[in-house]
Amino acid sequence: MTSFFSRLPLMRRFRRVAALAVMLGAPIGAHGTTHAEQIPSFVHDGTLTVCTNPTLPPMTFVKGQDVSHPEGFDIDVAQALATRWQARLSVITMDFTGLFPSLSAQRCGLVMSGIIRTPAREKSFDAVSYQDTALVVVGRKGTPSLSSMDELSGKDVAVESGTSYVTRLGVVNDALVAAGKPPMIIQQYPTEEQVVQQVLIGRVFAFVSQDVELFYRMRQLRDKLHVLITPDIPDYRHFAIYIRQNAEDRTLLQNAISALDADGSLQTLRTKWSVTDQSTKNGPDEAAASGMFDWSAFFSALTSTAFLHGALITLSVALISHIIAITISVPIAIVLNSPQQSVLKIALEGYVSLFRAAPTLLQLLFIWNAVPQFFPIFREQWFTPFLATILALSINESAYQVEINRAALSAVDPGQELGASALGLSRRDIYWRVIFPQAFRIALPPTINEFINLLKITSLASVISLQELLAVTQIQVARTFAFTEYYAAALIYYLVMVFFFLFLQKRVERRFSWSDRKKVVSNAA
Amino acid sequence: MQHETTNPPMISVRGMSKLFGKFVALDRVDFDVSRGEKIVVLGPSGSGKSTLIRTLNQIEPHDSGMLTIDGKLINDKTDPIQLRCMVGMVFQNYNLFPHLSALENCILAPMRVKRMTRLEATTLARRYLDLVGIPDQADKYPIQLSGGQQQRVAIARALCMQPEVMLFDEPTAALDPEAIVGVVGIMDELSEQGITTVCVTHEMAFSRRIADRIIFMDQGKIVEITPPETFFTSPKTDRAQNFLNQMLRY
Repeated sequence: MTSFFSRLPLMRRFRRVAALAVMLGAPIGAHGTTHAEQIPSFVHDGTLTVCTNPTLPPMTFVKGQDVSHPEGFDIDVAQALATRWQARLSVITMDFTGLFPSLSAQRCGLVMSGIIRTPAREKSFDAVSYQDTALVVVGRKGTPSLSSMDELSGKDVAVESGTSYVTRLGVVNDALVAAGKPPMIIQQYPTEEQVVQQVLIGRVFAFVSQDVELFYRMRQLRDKLHVLITPDIPDYRHFAIYIRQNAEDRTLLQNAISALDADGSLQTLRTKWSVTDQSTKNGPDEAAASGMFDWSAFFSALTSTAFLHGALITLSVALISHIIAITISVPIAIVLNSPQQSVLKIALEGYVSLFRAAPTLLQLLFIWNAVPQFFPIFREQWFTPFLATILALSINESAYQVEINRAALSAVDPGQELGASALGLSRRDIYWRVIFPQAFRIALPPTINEFINLLKITSLASVISLQELLAVTQIQVARTFAFTEYYAAALIYYLVMVFFFLFLQKRVERRFSWSDRKKVVSNAA
Repeated sequence: MQHETTNPPMISVRGMSKLFGKFVALDRVDFDVSRGEKIVVLGPSGSGKSTLIRTLNQIEPHDSGMLTIDGKLINDKTDPIQLRCMVGMVFQNYNLFPHLSALENCILAPMRVKRMTRLEATTLARRYLDLVGIPDQADKYPIQLSGGQQQRVAIARALCMQPEVMLFDEPTAALDPEAIVGVVGIMDELSEQGITTVCVTHEMAFSRRIADRIIFMDQGKIVEITPPETFFTSPKTDRAQNFLNQMLRY
């Protein structure tokens, strides 16, 4: 029991908070002696919280099995900043599209994820540059180089969604259309490795990325890629750290970065992560998988703690959410099935309609990113992605489950309630001893269906940084490029979980022999 | 039967009415039932017979008028559970619990309501299953039993609460002729045990045999209350005469 729950991020976060509480006493002395620098306001309680999408090596990515501990140039720079400010570093990982909303919702002090400095982003956030970079257009080996961006006219180009490349390519397209040429066809993918994969499998002509990431990919993929053009775009020359708008914080951050640059710390880290190394030698430890199915990669994924951890999160989120959903939905279904009209009934009808209508993904994003803007309590440490997902999915699922329960309760003959009350049974006994056992039989198959659906829907929670099975798979794929093997391993996990519950359903249904005359007779014989 | 004034009636109904929306199901009904008396309620369909006996155990609470059972005034403040321990009921469609065996159907209420132990309840249930003639069907589920057998279980289930009054709501209406004979036989037997009975039925011969008095209803009103020999040979009202003519024709 303990070991199972200690794997959950909620528990881990609690431990982290506990550790923090122990540490809180300590820094007071240190504070007094050093007190070299003023500390920016986004450092809270001695913790610098950073939001990152760990799928952009070598800036931010997961090297090992533990997906909640990304590494890379960005993470090391963040660590150096935290050290300067005598703070602990806490890293929150999530999809790229979730980074800026999380910054707004004050879930993190700053965002570092190999993000380009653009004027558009600076309208909403303050930015401090920390690394030079250039935009590159990359194709497969053997594709002839381009002399201008116009030559991409009419071609398929892949980019990571939520990045500034999308807007930038839009500008190129506007120019192409104005010149009477067909625009590029832009395909957006949620992660960097998927963007690269589109080029490798030949679905698109080229992808757009940054030189730094490209150098890493080229070392990883040996010589399968080739830079087609490095256009000179003035706005796209720097990676920046983003913070919420605050002139004072910006100055403090700028000073800290300048100091790290001056004392050679940044240069040391650049060398460590080969940020500017264009050679295709010194590749990452793990070379990308070759064309054939790599059984050892598959089995190592299958038996890795990362996948097991992801699967446990998927399973526990689905189970806990569904149990809460069923608990909420039964009383709601009883009220909705009653013939009397009441304010409560109208309110509950509204609840059910609203949460059946709203997309699950939207509900997740709403609870994680929008609600904390109104209720600060929801951006505190205890409100983990794990809890947020359970909250969103329980509410969402309860709305569907109400309909199943309503149907099941209506299917029980009203004479049952009449017969039971004529015997003097209490309301409680009428429901628990007479109506629920019969309704349960009817509700079971659709409920198991809902559960299986829920098990798969948990993968949506990767947008709010829950490290469930599919998020783990994507992060691991970003590191190794072993798409087929890792997807297959994830599939096995899903199948095992679903088949277990289907088996359970069959076992339980066997106990309903009372409902089937033939079965009862054959059992008796 | 004796109608001793010293002995208060088991059931007393005064000016009782029941409405379903604007439809008057019971219209200011008055009658008494003495302890141990057997009443059969007759009348065309829709005349309020079922509604009448359902108000007696309050599974349909009445809207106005006065109801006393065993001297106790029954209204919306009465604990319905106490009332139903005293007044048992058998339905046209048996209303057995399909997920429970015949025996489990019988012991549920004694255990949950009267807090009997499983052993006490089982001993009692076996006795009544024996009384209704199906001791060997105790472990079968309702779906495995014939209609007649199911209705016997339903009667045993009601008797397990050891009520002082039994209400029967057309207990043979859903049965085939052969099963009717069996169930009527059991009711004959029960009538000899001196339990106060109110029965809605269309079984004329049965009514005539066991009833102390017949209540004849039409359009929510009690038209006449007479002993069976009078009712079947020379009813006081034309409506009763018409009803009898129709019943005898078929």
